[in-house]
Amino acid sequence: MNGLEQTCASLRTQIAATEAKLADLKRELEVAEQAAASHKIQNAADAEEGFERRWPLLDEEYRRYGRQMIVPQLGIQGQLKLRSAKVLIVGAGGLGCPAALYLAGAGVGMLGLVDGDSVESSNLHRQVLHRTRNIGKLKVDSAIEYLKELNPHSKYIAHREHLAPEAAPEIFSNYDLILDCTDNPATRYLISDTAVLLGKPLVSASALRTEGQLMVLNNPPRPAGDKTGGPCYRCVFPKPPPANTVTSCADGGIVGPVVGTMGVLQALEAIKVITADETSTAPPPSLHIFSAYSTPLFRTIKLRSRRPACAVCSAEASVTVDTVRSGSTDYIFFCGSADPENLLSPEERITPREYRTRHHGKEEKEPTIIDVREKVQYDICSLDNSINIPISTILASSSSAMSNGDSSADGVPALPPWVPADVASSQSTDPVYVVCRLGNDSQVAVKKLKELGLDQGGKRVVADIRGGFRAWKEQVDPEWPEY
Amino acid sequence: MSSEENTTFQIHYFASASTYTGKQTERLPAPLPLPRLFDTLESMYPGIKEKVLSSCGVSLGDEYVDVEADGEVVVIKPGDEVAVIPPVSSG
Repeated sequence: MNGLEQTCASLRTQIAATEAKLADLKRELEVAEQAAASHKIQNAADAEEGFERRWPLLDEEYRRYGRQMIVPQLGIQGQLKLRSAKVLIVGAGGLGCPAALYLAGAGVGMLGLVDGDSVESSNLHRQVLHRTRNIGKLKVDSAIEYLKELNPHSKYIAHREHLAPEAAPEIFSNYDLILDCTDNPATRYLISDTAVLLGKPLVSASALRTEGQLMVLNNPPRPAGDKTGGPCYRCVFPKPPPANTVTSCADGGIVGPVVGTMGVLQALEAIKVITADETSTAPPPSLHIFSAYSTPLFRTIKLRSRRPACAVCSAEASVTVDTVRSGSTDYIFFCGSADPENLLSPEERITPREYRTRHHGKEEKEPTIIDVREKVQYDICSLDNSINIPISTILASSSSAMSNGDSSADGVPALPPWVPADVASSQSTDPVYVVCRLGNDSQVAVKKLKELGLDQGGKRVVADIRGGFRAWKEQVDPEWPEY
Repeated sequence: MSSEENTTFQIHYFASASTYTGKQTERLPAPLPLPRLFDTLESMYPGIKEKVLSSCGVSLGDEYVDVEADGEVVVIKPGDEVAVIPPVSSG
């Protein structure tokens, strides 16, 4: 028996050593192959310069791009335009990955990627350039690693940073076309403004849950005040959404193929802009809306030309390269920022650890916890002693109750139907705790419950569980699923 | 045109407008002057004007329209299609 175990241990060691050796060899091969590929391209380029080559593309490029070159809309002219094009992709996430994948595949000569984030496992269901082994690696590096293997002919530039106003104009100046693949309003306005000011067409897309939007903006890219130029993001959406209503993919969710569709369409629009015939006029500006669970899947809205009073592309423009770079055009201020909620006083809050010490394993039953996550999240995981009242239900009914002026005979507001009987009862002073995913909505809910008088003027504890289930997992239940 | 189409228009809600109303689409009484659209929706969905509509694009038929700034008053006619399009910023 002992001998057998020794044999196993020895075999395991040998396998590990051999695997390490194999990994080393693979790395060496990869480096050698890349060197060989660039050497080959360089040789061909040298040959091209040295003595007149008969054909503008390399042999390998004719084979590689043949299937798209024989499409009349592209042709060899289109292919040559793609090869000399410089495209900047801002954001290497759900939109940027598929967009970069197709543009690299199509033979765009130079692709720049801007992103300061690192790969997380929650990205992998949709951010198709990132692989499990690259979790923790910078997204731009992970993406470029993939793109180089896909097409070694193109040049890839890594901008390992979040796009900042002071750096944006200089970065944009090195490219011909910009793709907005970002995830927040402030950066969207920054990208659009910079694209207009530097005269670059912009392909903008976004996606959330089951819907997406796509627009080609500032096309043609005429100077501010020239009405023949294409509209910009501000022309379509002059006012940003209120900061506390902006939903991220982390909070709202996203279906992979939905954001993938939008990113692929960005690549398509980019190819159309790059390969367009100089003599043809740009197609009329449009907003394409994709809605995965509607029929039809796509709707197209004709946009207007530039807005007469647009802050950046009209004759009355107030935004300039200097105001962007200096920060006097303040994107964070313009879009507002949704600070984490801090609505409650310390005595209206309890940490998961305090909750556990106070109520777990005692003789009396654990108090009712109101879980205000949406039902779809409650269904993923929930506590046995919790009931689900989604925050959307709470907010919807409280606003309508206020506006209708509903009140019972004694002048107290009538209780909305979602209030559970034991919470509504004035006989009970059992504490009521409210929890959500991160500890913001739970505070809003506690405030609403108190407005409805459910704390019985302070006789009954109504408190939020500070930090939500994220803190719950850290402090009391490591097995709680984090999604 | 069915009788319903003689007296109503179709309104489509996207993104946060759909979340807020809990609907993708519905029919509302027509004719309705376009500048009164937001107040009509506010009376049905209190709070929607500030939280959603203030930053939305709106289309009538398949064209983008300015709800408040348009010089001559556009009227939404029976059978028209209107869409409320909030900016989606994530990706």
